[in-house]
Amino acid sequence: MNIVVAIKHIPSIADDLPVKGNNVDFDSVDFVLNEFDEQSIEQAVLVKEAVGGTVTVVGVDVIGELDNVLHLALAKGADKAVKITGDDPAADSHQQAKWLAEAIKGLSPNIVFAGVQASNDLDGQIGPMIAAYLDMPYIGGVSSVEVSDHTATVNKEFAGGFGAKYSVSLPMVVGVQAASKPPRYAPISKVRQVAQMATIEKVAPSGGVSSGLSFKKMAPPVVTGHAEMIGGSSKEVAAKIVELLKSKGLA
Amino acid sequence: MLTTIEKIVFVALALVSAGFTVHGFKLIIDSIRKGRPAPELKNVPASLLNAGVKVLFQQTIFKARKALSAIHMGLFFGLITYAFVNLFDVLEGLVPGFDLVYGGAHIPNAPTGLINAFNLIADVMSMFLLVAITVFLIRRFIVKDKALDYRENILLNPKVKAGGQQIDSLIVGAFVIMHVIAHLMSQSYRLTNGAYPFMPIASFLNSIFGTSETGVHVAWWISIGWVMFIIPYLSRSKHTHFFMAPVTLGLAKQNPRGQLDPAIPLKVIEGQKFDPGAKFIHDLSWKRALDAYACVQCNRCQDVCPMNFAEGAPLSPSALEVNKRYLLKEATFGSHPDRLLLPLTETVISAEAVWSCTTCHACVSICPVGNEPMADIVDIRRRMIVDGAELDSGVQNALQSLATNGNWMSKGKRLRGRWAKEMEFPVKNATEEPVEHLWFVGDTASFDERVIPNTKMVARIFQQGGLDFGIMYQNESNAGNDVRRVGEEGLFEQLVEQNMQAFGKAQFKQIVTTDPHSFNTLKNEYPQFGGKFEVKHYTMTLLKLFEEGKLTVKNKLSNYKVTFHDPCYLGRYNGGFTAPRKLLEMLGVEFVEMPRNCENSFCCGAGGGQIWMGKVAPGERPAENRIKEALTTFGESTNEKTQLFIVTCPKDMVMYSDAVKTTGNEGKIEVRDIIQLVAEAVGVEEPVVAEAVAA
Ligand code: SF4
Ligand code: SF4
Repeated sequence: MNIVVAIKHIPSIADDLPVKGNNVDFDSVDFVLNEFDEQSIEQAVLVKEAVGGTVTVVGVDVIGELDNVLHLALAKGADKAVKITGDDPAADSHQQAKWLAEAIKGLSPNIVFAGVQASNDLDGQIGPMIAAYLDMPYIGGVSSVEVSDHTATVNKEFAGGFGAKYSVSLPMVVGVQAASKPPRYAPISKVRQVAQMATIEKVAPSGGVSSGLSFKKMAPPVVTGHAEMIGGSSKEVAAKIVELLKSKGLA
Repeated sequence: MLTTIEKIVFVALALVSAGFTVHGFKLIIDSIRKGRPAPELKNVPASLLNAGVKVLFQQTIFKARKALSAIHMGLFFGLITYAFVNLFDVLEGLVPGFDLVYGGAHIPNAPTGLINAFNLIADVMSMFLLVAITVFLIRRFIVKDKALDYRENILLNPKVKAGGQQIDSLIVGAFVIMHVIAHLMSQSYRLTNGAYPFMPIASFLNSIFGTSETGVHVAWWISIGWVMFIIPYLSRSKHTHFFMAPVTLGLAKQNPRGQLDPAIPLKVIEGQKFDPGAKFIHDLSWKRALDAYACVQCNRCQDVCPMNFAEGAPLSPSALEVNKRYLLKEATFGSHPDRLLLPLTETVISAEAVWSCTTCHACVSICPVGNEPMADIVDIRRRMIVDGAELDSGVQNALQSLATNGNWMSKGKRLRGRWAKEMEFPVKNATEEPVEHLWFVGDTASFDERVIPNTKMVARIFQQGGLDFGIMYQNESNAGNDVRRVGEEGLFEQLVEQNMQAFGKAQFKQIVTTDPHSFNTLKNEYPQFGGKFEVKHYTMTLLKLFEEGKLTVKNKLSNYKVTFHDPCYLGRYNGGFTAPRKLLEMLGVEFVEMPRNCENSFCCGAGGGQIWMGKVAPGERPAENRIKEALTTFGESTNEKTQLFIVTCPKDMVMYSDAVKTTGNEGKIEVRDIIQLVAEAVGVEEPVVAEAVAA
């Protein structure tokens, strides 16, 4: 089984996002692995552990620091790592999806995993776009995957606690919401060992595309409201609320 | 005294007994030597001698249970006396004419005074031994002292569960009683000339039972026969501690308490490759096996373990040692060498227990024989981490964040110095300009909103005291103390490297830290990685500022009644008991000491990674118990003073503030960092910031 995981290296939102011009100030922000990609790496390794095969992790090296992430993936059980030397922190989802798809094509995958979304891809475009380029079916919002022969059985989550089970014949692209088990911890000693031994395959980006969109302005959101905690007994709290509503002319 | 035939039988039996004894101890030593190399010890003869002296005066047992310890001391002296008594009994049996009764009247030029004195001591000691042993047997079998039991949820070797220890105690107890009585009788039967004032008890018995040649022989055989049986037996029972305790004490750790032994032995042995930490018993260092043999099974360590105390946690450091002991015993003397190949988490301590230790060091500090149950626990964690064991989700998140962000709170690196940027004066960046004091702030004090006001206050007081200080802003990473104790050695090393790089960029004379955990590892473990710095806890720096007159108390705080909690990593680990107490004295508060203080301080339950745990054991938590202790110490409040619980660790601020709420004691006691009191006394206030008004 040829299992491929497409990952994204994205600006960390643990910090306040610094803005420069009309984009993020990429020089003064840390980059991290998209958290949904952590889930999809885990899901890929779980599938490999169940049915055998190899897991190849592919990502665009947007700031030249992807190696750390790839080493972590290898320490968690991936077998091969490929980085696309995109070297452009501003590369958008359309561009990254194209580069990823071109690189993945050559790997002739049976199944491709991608994080269902990312903090800079909240509408989750990457997975479906890769699927389109590869001409494979796509299911997103997936919370578990089982593979047997040429079929994958996936659970997809819907709003309101509903879920559905699909059987899909392979190859396909899966947008992972959560792996069927929480991602494992890779001990740093192992990550470091991998970092010394592993070879990471480099691929030049191929195929330029444009989303057709351009930034007009980027700014931190303006804080408009605020929350106030009202203390006291429930009666006092209720009285306060009524008073507030009245003062705003709402009651 | 003995007939020739008796002599032959005696020598034969003595040889058999000696054979079994030597064999027993050889097996024990072999099984100990299977362990991994331990850190090198310096000057072993001197420390063995030192241990011998400690044992002779029974110093180490008086750390707790004072009354029982006194009896134990008597028992110990009694047994030492009896070693001589037995020696002389044997000599009397074998050497014709050698006879110590009546001051050795038949021996030419005998030192009569000395012999009389010895006879008196032996006679009185016999009585005392009988009493002492009876007390211990009553304690175990009639009163059934709870302290000798293990809670239901604690993993126990089946033999221990079935009462193996009890049987041991009973056999040895019965031995002492029979042996002493037999010896007394043999003495009393020999008194041919009536009462002998230096043997009051034997004389009394003689007045009842009279003199008897046959009696002497029978009693002698019972008395000495028992000894020949019991000595080889001791090597196979828990009472090996008679011999092993002094050895363990003599070979006890020489490195600082706060420095963990390496995960992989430093000593290179050709052809041997070690994995970090321990999965099986012989993955532990040989000293940890020795611990098992030295363990008295007194359960003092269990008594002080904060997590044993927390009902839900299945942790008992003594059960760990006892299980190790039975595991080794079953392999060496019994039929279960195969059990040595079972993971320690199945044979000596459950995985859940492994993960509930706070690494507070209480068990190690209290142990009268110098055992280190905590070291086993850390080693087991180390291997579990390397083997990819499933971790508590909270611990995993913390480690993950530490690996990527350098802090456990999933905060961006750049946010570390944010509090400093909000200050009313600039706080120097020590990686950009030279400072005298490099302030290592630590994660909780840098990021936790509940603690930041105190952090800022420390900065103001340092400023007020004219201290030239700076912080490392985003260059600081978590110091790694708790990471190491959770067993993530690789991550610890990574954090050390990151900090060492940052220190390399900075120019400073000494490090001051607000966090006892950072204090411990910076002081005791960084030197092994080339980081030899002078490290101070902020209480020490503050005290110095006062002593040098750079800070002065303007307002005496006599309106407060306070008690102080010693943080494990400042107090028990590093002896930092005095600075905080002296500070409190200067501030003029009314100070009361909780019963568990200084060396015996009770852990708040946060250390060793516990603060990261997503899942906590049910039942009363250590911090809650501690708050109750403080309130009991304050007693019924007779005055109008505000009652304060003073802490000097950011984690304590969080733990105890929570505990005050969960125990419903708000209003009765308030948790404050010592810096808050210092600020009030010195007259430094928070600047008034105009609050944003609701639109
Ligand atoms: S270190 Fe503390 S928590 Fe851990 S076993 Fe010892 S006493 Fe218990
Ligand atoms: S480890 Fe030490 S304190 Fe604990 S039971 Fe054994 S001898 Fe007693």
